[in-house]
Amino acid sequence: MATAGSTTGADAHGALRQRKSKPSEPGREPVEQFFQDKPKTVIGEYYRDEDDISLDTVEKYVVPMLFTILSFVTRMYRIGISDIVTWDEAHFGKFGSHYLKREFYFDVHPPLGKMLVGLSGYLCGYNGSFEFKSGDHYPEDVNYTFMRIFNATFGALCVPVAYYTAKSLKFSTLATWLVTLMVLCENSYATISRFILLDSMLMLFTFTSFLGLAKFHEWRRHPFTSGWWFWLTFTGVNIGCVTSVKWVGMLTTALVGIYTIHDLWDKFGDLKMPVVTYAKHWISRIVCLIILPLTIYLACFKIHFLILENSGPGDAQMSSLFQANLRNSDLTKGPLDVAIGSKFTLKNMGYGGGLLHSHVQTFPEGSEQQQVTCYHHKDSNNEWVFYPIRGSPEYDPNDSEIRFIESGDAIRLIHENTGRNLHSHVMPAPITKDQNEVSCYGNLTVGDDKDNWIIEIVSDTAHSDNRVHTLTSSLRFRHQVLGCYLRAANVNLPPWGFKQVEVTCDKTNNPRDRFTHWNVEMHVNPRLPQGDAKAYKSPFLRDFVHLNVAMMTSNNALVPDPDKRDELASRPWQWPVLNVGLRMCGWSNDIVKYYLLGNPFVVWGSTASVAMLAIVTFVYLCRWQRKYVDMTPDEVSHFIYSGLYPALGWGLHYFPFILMARVTYVHHYLPALYFAIMTFGFLFDFGTRKLSWWARYLAYLLAYAAVIGVFALYSPISFGIIGNHENYDYLNWLSTWTI
Amino acid sequence: MASTSTKFSTLPAKDKAAILSITGLAVLVRLYKIWQPSSVVFDEVHFGGFASKYIKGRYFMDVHPPLAKLLITLAGYLAGYDGDFDFKDIGKDYIEAGVPYVAMRLLPATLGVLVIPLSFLTLKAYGCTSLTSSLGALLVLFENALTTQSRFILLDSPLVFFTALTAYAWANFQNQPAFRSSWYWYLFLTGLSLGATVSVKWVGLFTIAWVGVTTVTGLWHLLGDLSVSPKQYVKHFFWRAVFLIGVPVIFYMLMFGIHFICLVNPGDGDGFMSSEFQATLNNKKMVDTPADVAFGSHITIRHLNTQGGYLHSHDHLYPTGSKQQQITLYPHKDDNNLWLVENATEVDVDMRALPPVYLRDGDVIRLQHVSTNRRLHSHDLRPPVTEADWQNEVSAYGYKGFAGDANDNFRIEILESKSKPGKAQEYVRAIETKFRLVHTITGCVLFSHKVKLPSWAYEQQEVTCAKQGTLPNSIWYIEYNEHPTLPADAEKVNYPKVGFFKKFAELQSVMWETNAGLIASHTWDSRPEAWPYLRRGINFWVRDHKQVYLIGNIFIWWLSTAGLVIYALFKIVTILRWQRGYKDYSLPSVQAFDSTVGTNFVAWALHYFPFYLMKRQLFLHHYLPALYFAILGVVIAWDLFCKKVLRHRAIITAATIGILAIAVYTFVMLSPLAYAEPWTKYQCENAKLMKHWDFDCNVFPTDLSKYDSSHIANVSSVDGSVVEASSTATSSFQSAKDTIGEALPPRDEL
Repeated sequence: MATAGSTTGADAHGALRQRKSKPSEPGREPVEQFFQDKPKTVIGEYYRDEDDISLDTVEKYVVPMLFTILSFVTRMYRIGISDIVTWDEAHFGKFGSHYLKREFYFDVHPPLGKMLVGLSGYLCGYNGSFEFKSGDHYPEDVNYTFMRIFNATFGALCVPVAYYTAKSLKFSTLATWLVTLMVLCENSYATISRFILLDSMLMLFTFTSFLGLAKFHEWRRHPFTSGWWFWLTFTGVNIGCVTSVKWVGMLTTALVGIYTIHDLWDKFGDLKMPVVTYAKHWISRIVCLIILPLTIYLACFKIHFLILENSGPGDAQMSSLFQANLRNSDLTKGPLDVAIGSKFTLKNMGYGGGLLHSHVQTFPEGSEQQQVTCYHHKDSNNEWVFYPIRGSPEYDPNDSEIRFIESGDAIRLIHENTGRNLHSHVMPAPITKDQNEVSCYGNLTVGDDKDNWIIEIVSDTAHSDNRVHTLTSSLRFRHQVLGCYLRAANVNLPPWGFKQVEVTCDKTNNPRDRFTHWNVEMHVNPRLPQGDAKAYKSPFLRDFVHLNVAMMTSNNALVPDPDKRDELASRPWQWPVLNVGLRMCGWSNDIVKYYLLGNPFVVWGSTASVAMLAIVTFVYLCRWQRKYVDMTPDEVSHFIYSGLYPALGWGLHYFPFILMARVTYVHHYLPALYFAIMTFGFLFDFGTRKLSWWARYLAYLLAYAAVIGVFALYSPISFGIIGNHENYDYLNWLSTWTI
Repeated sequence: MASTSTKFSTLPAKDKAAILSITGLAVLVRLYKIWQPSSVVFDEVHFGGFASKYIKGRYFMDVHPPLAKLLITLAGYLAGYDGDFDFKDIGKDYIEAGVPYVAMRLLPATLGVLVIPLSFLTLKAYGCTSLTSSLGALLVLFENALTTQSRFILLDSPLVFFTALTAYAWANFQNQPAFRSSWYWYLFLTGLSLGATVSVKWVGLFTIAWVGVTTVTGLWHLLGDLSVSPKQYVKHFFWRAVFLIGVPVIFYMLMFGIHFICLVNPGDGDGFMSSEFQATLNNKKMVDTPADVAFGSHITIRHLNTQGGYLHSHDHLYPTGSKQQQITLYPHKDDNNLWLVENATEVDVDMRALPPVYLRDGDVIRLQHVSTNRRLHSHDLRPPVTEADWQNEVSAYGYKGFAGDANDNFRIEILESKSKPGKAQEYVRAIETKFRLVHTITGCVLFSHKVKLPSWAYEQQEVTCAKQGTLPNSIWYIEYNEHPTLPADAEKVNYPKVGFFKKFAELQSVMWETNAGLIASHTWDSRPEAWPYLRRGINFWVRDHKQVYLIGNIFIWWLSTAGLVIYALFKIVTILRWQRGYKDYSLPSVQAFDSTVGTNFVAWALHYFPFYLMKRQLFLHHYLPALYFAILGVVIAWDLFCKKVLRHRAIITAATIGILAIAVYTFVMLSPLAYAEPWTKYQCENAKLMKHWDFDCNVFPTDLSKYDSSHIANVSSVDGSVVEASSTATSSFQSAKDTIGEALPPRDEL
């Protein structure tokens, strides 16, 4: 690596020793002449300054333009040739349709990306009627090409962003070009950007967040100037957007967070900084990097709720009050008061709660009686009927007297479809072993007093009498014999329970535990007058939290079946070594086929660079500990912010997937790959900085040629394989690739 | 800090007297009525059971390495135990069965006692005064959880002992001048005790992590010391690697060597191991079988991945789906495992009479079950348990004389990469060839997975035909092969011999998988966040109106946790001050505080936080090693507080006695739960210091005198107290239900 500039100047280095590899000692403000000037003029070379300024100016405008044009070409070339619903277009296209039809749906991802998909449909006059079934042909009236172009624009814009980011990271011009070229010629980016998916948006906002960070770092010597404020705000807006597209955006946010803490920590050590200034730094970060992104995230959900004003397939995930406020909801007609003989569904009021459910399948363990679960979809198995307990007068539908249910009444809940009683007994619940199992047992006549439940009204948002009301009453169900409370707390059952939510009877009496609160949602009783539920509003923040908890619960339930071979899913270790690709559609000869696979040179090179950077850092650290001086403080700073931070970004966007239990796919690596590419650029730059000019040019030329060459070789998988896939067998460099 | 070692022999007479008297006291406290209760307590179900299996030599599978179990077995064996008792249920009587359980309990108890002098010596090595070292030893002594845990046949007391031994050796190693004989000795002792710790439970890896972290930081500082030449540095590095990596690895493997030597017979752990492994056990050795398989051969077919056994059928029908004859996977040798290979195109020809036509890759066959004459069959119906739409039911269908139908046809697909290179990749050869069986009509593949069928199929393993099954669960091979017209001198094959290293590696991975699979929740489990403040204990044993309940000495727990919080605050404040340019760290007392207290709290953290990442069921006793380090840390902090702040001998003595008095008082108050002593309901209620402590006070009578009178029967019954041993490999493998005590109320009538 670098030749050792080795004067063992112990004194000069004493200060550095104390503060590991951070060049910013108090009173040590390394005079980075470089940054003293206005940042705009420092775009030039770091290691090489023989270049002509006017040439640089030309480069500054012409090259990014050229790259942008190429980027639009590679992302949009032949974009409309495949007229079938490809890969997850089936999901995201459908969600976009829901916005156009304004029907409430539920999905694990936040709404921004899907709203943009909806916008693209709106712009091309699509009416939302297409179902987006995987593999179907698009009908005439869906201008899918426009929708794809809309998406591809996001993907195309990634390239200039990469260019400016590399500039801000003080890469040499040659390295900047290399990095930009690698993003441009990355097959997986070019492929995934061409479809109606969220990934191109996720990538763009990830890239822009990092651009904001790099620019902000460039401006750090000029705090509170307009440029400084601009880039800080820019970063905040973009982390807000990236998190509103997919939750993986949190990883980008984490990178920004770590940088910010590091930065504030350095400033804390600056004894010359007045406390007020320091406080201003804190406040500016809190406003721009916490409050602003959060507001954007909230705003996305607000718009989401405003657009989706009709009842739709996702209703059941939300609270009953929210549903009642959707247009065409069937909840609005339920009679106000609940009586013996009423047919109803019962909604758990905890965040993410579902409907009390039972089905003929039995517990495979414990009592082996009929299962009782919480279920998030509407289904006739959610319906229950209030019956009087045994020993009290039987329910007679023709009896003129209507027995309303009041707080403190003992009743039975009969499952409408199977006729069994909601029941509990001293038997550990299947998962939460310290609580009692709840099952369905017996029938109208067979049973015991363990079928009896006592209704307690915890609160009522609209009424103050003692009666149980539809929607507004929060109820608890106390088991008459055991004294435990009916509870469901988002614990998923194993496959035998169809991953539905476990229902238990909790022995602890905690009136504030919302998972023990239930409300009557749908209510049918022909003998009672219809009510009007529109009168009660559901507060936005509650709906927001509710929806987010529901998203998290569903996301956690996306666990792959260990027995099932899933050809599409892949394991995180396979991504950096490019062990696996992804067929994005069917593989028959008559359709255009797309294969999601990274540019092997880019992926392998970037992975190697991350490993190499770790080794280089380790060697430098050891030499530093042995008191060698290899770098000036400026160089150390460049090493940290332009080398280690991208590598950290890679780690933050990669390792969390290893810990995730949910099913993972190749495209989850795409944001991490960008940071690996930046690391590659840095290391290439760093490694070639001391070479003679011709050797450097040669090295870069070879790298450019390799990137472009491999991209060209693999371009069929991005632009679409037409005809027999066997003609492309030569692309299967590894036996695990399935082109 | 003393640069000498703290060995018993080099201590001043006063310290010797202190150690001896504290150890004597420990013997009294820890061994008091160790024969009580005289029946099986908590996980003695497992660890006593393992001792029986060692003595009988029956192979078993457990998630823990063997050292502590071997020691317990040795104690039992020396006391004349013959291994005939099965330790099946909590509360099962020892006396009548004549089990030398006292000798077996004495082993963990003795190791528990030895922790106490070790803690004294360790504190001395950290430079504590004799008074605080005594205080530390006494706090360890009067810790209820450590006491309870060490009185029974359990692994945690040996674990804590070897952890404490590591801490002792490592603390002393830091004090030795480099490359002296004592330096080598303590380094070796550290390595040896690390090996022993990890050979008791894998939690010992946390101890290794602690020694590893401190070694790396030590080496890093050494690197910055320019007076250490590169050559010396390499020497430092080398010896640490030898003693801290080499020695533990060798010791650990040695323990497994002994383990394999002891277990030579088949037992209930066979089912976890591969067929090659099982073939090394007595009686499970297989006679050589002809290699070449032909049409007309009688064969047994084994599933490769799950160790579930042989493709099996019996004269019982599925109650669901097609209601045809069941196909299962059965782990034992049986005539019902025997299948006749037929050529799908020539079913009516008696191939057994003709000269052998060998089976090749791609051949389409039918498999006829020899004892019922029905053929392996599949169709588009859902399997009995797994109701996934990508799996089909597999049944046995037909009757004698019926030619079968196309749904009986399966194609053999040899997996070249899994089969032995050579002929076995082309022809189907017993044992050497691994293949898939593809149902020709539907394209699904014969599949089995670790899903048990209900009691109507005797809880055997489900076999299905899967369209998207994982490859490992779709692989089969032929074990037994017979054809009447094969020449007598036909080539024979058998399982390849398995050497120690292969057996060792296989067992490690099986242990890992089993351990990771213990995720079912347990009535008495707890999560790590509840441990430092002692939220809840574990019910070990309830009988005859007495109870054993694992609960810590709450004073000592809270004291140690308070110490951790104080240290964390200290660290935060000093780091903030350091960044603002203050020079606190130039003070020797701050440095000493940070390094000695710090290293023990790092040890605490490394023995505590990794549990957050574990999904398996966890128990309060998993906190004990961490607790030991927390106690050491808080005592060292107290020592420095005495030296720097209190200063006056009288005040220090008074304060020490005060702390001790509270600790002993708390210990005594909760001790009936450790010793299973008579107690009253009133005393019990009073001892419930926290609302989550859920020992059952209704067990106890209202008046002590009732213990010796006949009134005892009137005391309310033990309702709702479920005593249950923790899950281990064996219990979950056999049946989850058989360890639930009789206290569990019967199921509803249905």
